[in-house]
Amino acid sequence: MLGPALRIAAKDLRLCLRGAQGLAQTALLGLLIIFVFSLSRKPGEEVPALAAAAIFWLSTLFAQVLVYSGLYTLEEGNGSRLGLAMSPIAPQSVWLGKALAGLTLVLCCQVVFAVAVAAFLGQGVAGSPALGLACVLIVDVGLSSLGSLMGALASGKTSRESLLTVIFFPLIIPVLLSGIRVLEGVVTGGDAGLDWLGIAAAFAAVFSAAALILFPFIYTGEE
Amino acid sequence: MTAVLAAIAAVALATAQWFIWVYAPVEETMGVVQKIFYVHLPMSIWAMASFLVVFVCSVMVLVKKDDKWDRLAGAACELGVLFAGLALVTGSIWGKPIWNVWWTWDPRLTTTLIMWFVYAAYLILRQSGVGGERGPVVRAALGVVAFLDVPLVFFSARKWRSIHPTVFGAQGGGLEPEMLTAILVSLAAMGIFWAALLSLRSRQLGQASAIRNVFLHQVR
Repeated sequence: MLGPALRIAAKDLRLCLRGAQGLAQTALLGLLIIFVFSLSRKPGEEVPALAAAAIFWLSTLFAQVLVYSGLYTLEEGNGSRLGLAMSPIAPQSVWLGKALAGLTLVLCCQVVFAVAVAAFLGQGVAGSPALGLACVLIVDVGLSSLGSLMGALASGKTSRESLLTVIFFPLIIPVLLSGIRVLEGVVTGGDAGLDWLGIAAAFAAVFSAAALILFPFIYTGEE
Repeated sequence: MTAVLAAIAAVALATAQWFIWVYAPVEETMGVVQKIFYVHLPMSIWAMASFLVVFVCSVMVLVKKDDKWDRLAGAACELGVLFAGLALVTGSIWGKPIWNVWWTWDPRLTTTLIMWFVYAAYLILRQSGVGGERGPVVRAALGVVAFLDVPLVFFSARKWRSIHPTVFGAQGGGLEPEMLTAILVSLAAMGIFWAALLSLRSRQLGQASAIRNVFLHQVR
């Protein structure tokens, strides 16, 4: 399963990064969100670390919706989805490949968002950077496992972005709260709460397991 | 079946009103506004039961591939969203004179609100016709995923707001015997009403599906 998944991820990344238009659009949307939120404070007024962490994850979520919508759009034309569904690989490979490609793209965007949060919202890192990276990675794995499943669920619809947003946002609340709380701790240098990371890891595990079972039902050749 | 259930529900709800307004005493500190509790709690419990039915029916859709389970899941979800919404509204009406706030970030309230969002999205998904031919399976997948989210939402909401009113915790144990009887009667009456609505709505969805199939057959 891993070999085909890596090949699908590599194929998707090549297609998405060709011209980098999709990635640039996603990063730009996230930057705009951070900039717009920075307007909610008077010039010179300090943004609380909790709010800054929430804005960072909000940008990530919107980026995530665009990324997974785009990844599943790649197979919409010329019956490519049917081809991929009929190929002699485990259907879960498609889910994993898309999740890995999406994870890579979202991580790229988050590098830009982190710099923007530091610049626009005046945040620094007083706590452990390693914990911050671990938090981002674990939360992103949870988001990607569900994002890839939801992307397949909304594929084939013209209004897939809005549909994905409505379905995706309420479901990811637990992992979102974890990400916000741990990043706040990393920014302020206070207690980040490792138990929050536990909730994020549980979320990633539950939805990865659910996706492995449910994806073959969702991703078929039927229109 | 539906008519019989509806008739029993009407009698049971009327009986429950007698228990609420005549049999159960007026609560000393909260006064008459506490009576809303006899509607609020059954609604929230039957809303959660509806979401459990959505989950079970979704699993059955995946296993049995029978559309009747999809229709039952749809009917249960509609009821769940309606009952959860009414539970949130009645909770707010109850909370305002007691705690002086319309809303408090209690884990149970937060969980109910988030579940309301999730299942409202599920209903939008049903209406949007997502998935085409594989629609029932796609909806079933979301029905399973949504239910798996419930414990995670509850735990994270509880951790997020560690200070919450303890009124909820004391409620169950501190009830007068008459109040307990009234809430149990109300719970049973609301349950019969819920079952009648579920039966009616799933039948309606079945009939709508049958009519659609007849038209599709004629067009072909």
